[in-house]
Order: sequence, then C-alpha cells, then structure tokens
Amino acid sequence: MTLFVLYVLALLDGLLCGARVSMGRCAVIAKRAYYIRAQLRGVIGAQIISTISLVALILVALLSARRAALHIDLEAAAERMLWVFIPYAILVVGNILLRLIPSTDIRSATSVMMLGPLTAIRPLIMIVGVSYGIWSSKFWETRLLGLFVLSLMLGLEFALNRLAANQQSREIALLVGN
Amino acid sequence: MLAVWNPDQPEITDLIIQYDPKTLERLPVRKSDVLDVFAGFGNRKALRAVAALPDHQGLLDNRAIDRILISTHWEMQRLAEEFYHGHRVWDLLRRVVATVRATGYRDKLRVIDVGCGIGYTTRWLAAHIPLQKHGIDVVGMDLNSTLIREATRLAAAEHLNCQFVQGDAFSREHSGHIYLSTGVIHHFRGESLREFLRRHEQPDTFAFLHYDFQPSVLAPFGSWFFHYLRMRTAIARHDGVLSAVRAHRANTLVDAARSAVPAFASGIYGAKIWKTPAPRVFHTLFGVRRPLLDELPRQLGIRIVRLGELR
Repeated sequence: MTLFVLYVLALLDGLLCGARVSMGRCAVIAKRAYYIRAQLRGVIGAQIISTISLVALILVALLSARRAALHIDLEAAAERMLWVFIPYAILVVGNILLRLIPSTDIRSATSVMMLGPLTAIRPLIMIVGVSYGIWSSKFWETRLLGLFVLSLMLGLEFALNRLAANQQSREIALLVGN
Repeated sequence: MLAVWNPDQPEITDLIIQYDPKTLERLPVRKSDVLDVFAGFGNRKALRAVAALPDHQGLLDNRAIDRILISTHWEMQRLAEEFYHGHRVWDLLRRVVATVRATGYRDKLRVIDVGCGIGYTTRWLAAHIPLQKHGIDVVGMDLNSTLIREATRLAAAEHLNCQFVQGDAFSREHSGHIYLSTGVIHHFRGESLREFLRRHEQPDTFAFLHYDFQPSVLAPFGSWFFHYLRMRTAIARHDGVLSAVRAHRANTLVDAARSAVPAFASGIYGAKIWKTPAPRVFHTLFGVRRPLLDELPRQLGIRIVRLGELR
C-alpha cells in the first residue's frame, strides 16, 4: 500500500512538473491541448522513473541475503517519506482546488502566494522527504535506494525542462531565424 | 537603495530595440551605448544581462534580440494569465462599453490596446468575448514590428477576430474610442507621462483604462520573488522587477491625467482587494468623458466600490 501511494504521488508530481515546465512557453490563448500534452509528458517521465525504481528495488531485494528484514526496513522508510510528501501534496492539490472558486482575486492569490512558493520548495521537499525516510533505516541498501530514487526525482524536472526549452528554442528559431 | 531598484533607469528592453518614431524603421543599437547607461547606474545585473547579448561589430544582433523579445513576451503572457488579466480588463471594459451605449451611441466602438506587445489582452478578448455582438473592434498597436508580427501570427493561428498594427495609437489614422494598456504607462515619466495622457484628447475618445503595477513598500520584494520563480531569462527577471519599482503611485497618475486631459474625469479603479486594505498587484488609471459620469455608476453596479474618486 505504501509503495502504491508513493507511486501515485510520483505520477502526480510528474504531471505537475510537466505542466510547470511548459508554462510561459506557448503564447496561444486556448492552451488546453498544449497543457494536456505537457502533463502527459510529465506522467510518462514519472512512470519511467517509477519503473526504473521498481526494477532497482527488485534487484536489491533479490541480491540481498536478508530479504525479509530489508523488506521491513524499506517499508518503514517509505512510510516515513509519506509523512513529508502527503502534507505537501495536500497543500498543492488544495490550492489547485481553491482555484475552482470563480474569483480572479482568489485564483491570482493562490498562484502568487501559494503555488509559486510551493513550486520553489519542491526540490527541498524531495530532499527532506527522502532524507527523513532513510535517516533511521538500518540497511545501506535502503539508503542507497532512497538516494537513487531522489536523484531520479530531481532529474525529472530538469529533463522535462530541457525538453521544453529545446522545443521552445526550435519554435522561436523558426519564427525569427537563427 | 539597490542599483537594480533605481526607478530613474530605463528597462533593458527599452534600450536594446529602437525604432524611428516617424518612419517606424528599426534602428541599429550599439551595445556599448546600452552598457554605458547601466554602468551609469551601477546596475551590475543589467550589465551582465546586456553583456551576454550577441553583437556584430558592436551592434546588437537583431535576430538574437528578437528571439529574446519573443521568449520574454511569452513568459510575460504567462504572468497575465496567472493574474487573470483578460477577465479583469473585460470586467471593466464591458461596463464602460455599456455606459457609452446607454448614452445612445450605436456605431462600432474601436478599442485600442496601446503598446500591446504580443497582444495577449487583445487576443484574449477576441477569443472569449462575442465582440461583434457588443459592436466592438479590438486593435492591438505597438511600435515594435517583431511583436506585432508575432501577435498577428498568434491571432491567425487561432482564427481570432482582432487586428494588430505597428504604429502610433494616437495618430488620426488609428485613433480609438476607448484606449487601454497593460504595463505601459510607467514607461512614461514626468512630462512625457502628461504628454502621453494629453494625446487621449481626441474627438472620438470616450474613455481610457491603463493597467499597471501598483507600487507599495512590499511590491519590489514580491515582484522579485515572483519573477525569480516564474521568469527564465535574465532580462525578463530584471525588467519585471524594475517595472514594479518604476510603477507610478496613484496620485502621480491621477494628477497627471487631471491636468493633461481635464475633459475626462479621472481616478483609480481596483486598487484594493474587495473592501480590505490589501492592495491588488495591478491598479487602473481610469478616465471617462464627463457626460458619461451620470450613467457610469449604474453600469458599474456593485463594482462602484472599486472606483476611487473620479473627477
């Protein structure tokens, strides 16, 4: 169950990363299709990361001589991570839901005062969440896996951002020339 | 005061692209001239951003500048989207249009978006509002040919019923019934602010709505934080913060409008959030012909609380 919740959070993170890196890079007015494509890219990226993480997890478990104890240790680390990731996810999703209120002032305020800062602290949340999870784990395998997954999570936004930046550069070069 | 927050200096984008105001021909810009301006203000951030711009034999590379301008304006559009700027403009514009209609004016109303850039407001209106039904033509105008080209391309891509023109919005040929702008008015300082407003005094013009950052003690900090998070290019970050610093106070705008165009009753619209003391990020210099003053409160309805003293 814990792994499944982490997986869902990873997909949500990918979706939001995809949206975030695409913002400000398309100037048409009706952008629904553009954002859906961007979010899909994010979800696919998160899915790839989740798959790689799962493969790594299985490999570590298979190669470990103390499989049962490692399983308990990994489960406990993942549970601790949720103590950081779930409140963060609730804050982000809560602010997105607030934007359903049809008030331009409330919508602007959630954007400027909440979603902006929450976006900014995402890498920090990732580091704090994973560190808190693996801090008191007993096995080096758990710590190594945690750090591996952290590097993938941090790399996701970077990779999506590079992808979106390259696409934008190509589009602008088509408009203006090199 | 931080050098980058000195309101007396121009923004980088004011200097790196220049047009002959008469012929609208693009003029070559010497990089060293731009650097000298910011060196004079000790603005190292601007110096770094300008130094990174490509040049050929000392002249800024036009294509590189165009690429930067377009990406910067795409990013700026994102800010307008986050602030629901289209909704805000229409919320007031529709009431001004209704006011004019209530006086019996039945012809098409020509709304000019002054200094429209890539025309976000104009295109938003064309995309969301049945302009034909309201009897409105929306025209985006700017002196910058690159931005007008991009605005035209974007409008065509979405089959929007609006027009973009490179030129002087206040010339006889292009004059409008209602003028609006966003983030433009702080570019006019001192006497040039009064001159800009004086040019609204045209026989056909009923009203003007100029949206700009609202200055406050916290505005530069908020703007810095917001632009740091949201903008990706050094020039956009620099100019975004400087715009908030250079924004005119309400009384500067209102005093200038009242002295420059006394035939219009002028005031500030939308300065505070609801009835709280909290300031909105943008406020609006609003002016209407005096004969419209009786009808305006009826059309504003409950929005009247957003309007400051109009005289």
